[in-house]
Amino acid sequence: MISEEKLKILTESAKYDVSCSSSGSNRKNEGGTGNGYVAGCCHSFTPDGRCISLLKMLLSNDCIFRCKYCMSRADSDVPRVTATPEEVCELVMDFYKRNYIEGLFLSSAVHRSPDYAMEQLLVTVKKLRTEYHFHGYIHLKGIPHADEKLVREAALYADRMSYNIELPSEQSLKLLAPQKSKESLLLPMRQLQRERNIFKAEKRKGHFLPAGQTTQMIVGASPEPDGQILRLTQSLYRVTGLKRVYYSSYMPVVHDSLLPEVPAGERREHRLYQADWLLRFYGFSAEEIVEEDGNLSLELDPKCAWAMRNLHLFPIEVNRAPLEALLRVPGIGARSAYKILEARKYTKLDFSGLKKMRVVLKRARHFITAGGKFYGAEGEAIRGYLGAAEAKQNAVQLSLFSDRETVLSALTGEL
Amino acid sequence: MIYFYDGTQTSFLTAFLLAYGDADAVLTSGSMQLALGEETRFVKADPARAKKAEKRLLALDAGCMEDLSTLLRSGDCDRDMVAMNYMRRIAEQGGPVRNMLADDAVLAAVECMRRVSFEVHRFHGFLRFMESESGALYAPISPDNDIADLLLPHFRKRLPAYPFVIHDVRRKKAAVYDGVNTFVAPLERAEVVLSADETAWQALWKNYYRSVNIPSRERLKQMRGYMPVRYWKFMPEFRGE
Repeated sequence: MISEEKLKILTESAKYDVSCSSSGSNRKNEGGTGNGYVAGCCHSFTPDGRCISLLKMLLSNDCIFRCKYCMSRADSDVPRVTATPEEVCELVMDFYKRNYIEGLFLSSAVHRSPDYAMEQLLVTVKKLRTEYHFHGYIHLKGIPHADEKLVREAALYADRMSYNIELPSEQSLKLLAPQKSKESLLLPMRQLQRERNIFKAEKRKGHFLPAGQTTQMIVGASPEPDGQILRLTQSLYRVTGLKRVYYSSYMPVVHDSLLPEVPAGERREHRLYQADWLLRFYGFSAEEIVEEDGNLSLELDPKCAWAMRNLHLFPIEVNRAPLEALLRVPGIGARSAYKILEARKYTKLDFSGLKKMRVVLKRARHFITAGGKFYGAEGEAIRGYLGAAEAKQNAVQLSLFSDRETVLSALTGEL
Repeated sequence: MIYFYDGTQTSFLTAFLLAYGDADAVLTSGSMQLALGEETRFVKADPARAKKAEKRLLALDAGCMEDLSTLLRSGDCDRDMVAMNYMRRIAEQGGPVRNMLADDAVLAAVECMRRVSFEVHRFHGFLRFMESESGALYAPISPDNDIADLLLPHFRKRLPAYPFVIHDVRRKKAAVYDGVNTFVAPLERAEVVLSADETAWQALWKNYYRSVNIPSRERLKQMRGYMPVRYWKFMPEFRGE
């Protein structure tokens, strides 16, 4: 059994990785333990509000790279440990059968060399699949600069792989993660995507990343505006074919003169995720959401902000509007839009009907009519209502220990 | 007229047939305060009549018996009337009604079913097994709805090599997989002798749970929203040292 101390170190070095989802794989249990759960499954939640779905850990935190923002970088004075593939396999099997976890999220520092680190990851997942007969979810991190053969083989055992883009531009990457390059991250992503398409087209037996690829970038450690980030995201979805892009707002865990001393606002991260959802599920393009050198409004969510710029398109009638138009109404999500489509086949919808169906009208009422009736405000007056709805959610009880910013914004009512 | 029935599907369908013509009918499987002069009737399950009702309803909506089974599992105190009104709407409409989401009776039923199936999904994640000396797994649960047996297929597919018992301690029943078959049995109390390593694995899991948290980003409200406190009772990560 792996020691508590070792697991603690390997977990604490992995926990800033955002992705934890276990969705997208329908791997069957082929005479062993475990299977995929297409919708994904959360097994617990930690006090920071994040879910535990996968056992998220590093195989080793002993790194030869010197990425400025990383606590495991080579010149950082932290205890170094490396787990054996057996230790990890045993841990996964025993956690999994007790239903603590949905699978494994395994990453590693660049231990000894990129190839060595990638090989150790490969040995671990291969062992788990072939010796322990584990068919649950495995998310594997790719090591930049590793041999493409190792990467290809790993993809046969993992459900999902991810290379972290880390920073939204080449310059920032050079500055803060000197040993990584855009190519070392994007090339393997493209390679995997190409091979995945071939694998699918030829209907080969077995699996090749059934849950696809994801990536992650740090927001706020470098100066790129949201417009640039969202355009990059859009191309990763459309061209590279990724399933998800994660953003992690920068937190100063290590100190360096090249890094900001203050954490990036969590509000910015939240807005980026909202915009990301608009790209993936609501038929928006990055160009509609924000201009290239601009940032998302912190005050209004991106859909409200878009609607305010396009007031000439509203209000729309919920009984007639097509799905695409309904999805663009602030406050109406995919589930509500679907409910409206179904319900209006049987009856003419009015506001009380929408309310009963739990369609949230706080924002939507300014942009829709129901049975010809309109209960919203007009023109620029809407902005006040939308802002007020949001400000209320952010009200906090003042305490002696609140930071200055929170106190000020609570006193002035401004964000 | 108040129709008392025993909560089973057969008995519900028997009562439904009797009460259908009575616009003021109240159907209940619990206890209730009676008004003075209230007429009551205790309905005994009548398989022949239930079959008849089932056949008629199925002709109108092929999925309605599954809906009914889900509704009757609900722990909501108004589930009997919700089920009654929903089945009545199917009969009146002469076809499926589940998408008529602006209709009160349908909406109440859809929400009630959603709560039941959502709890099944939650327990796929929140259920915790402990390993006994024999290697069989044991998980106590205390769900809002009567769902223990609905959890069987999921865990059976996942852990075919491990016999397990899912014990609904509130309803005193167990959903069992013996390594070959699954079945449901009444179970008052269970004495479980833990395997030699069980405590150590639980400690390791607690250690992991503590390590993966980011203390500077505390969001307890969000955590409790996703995982209400009533589910914590049998999870090792929330049990003291």
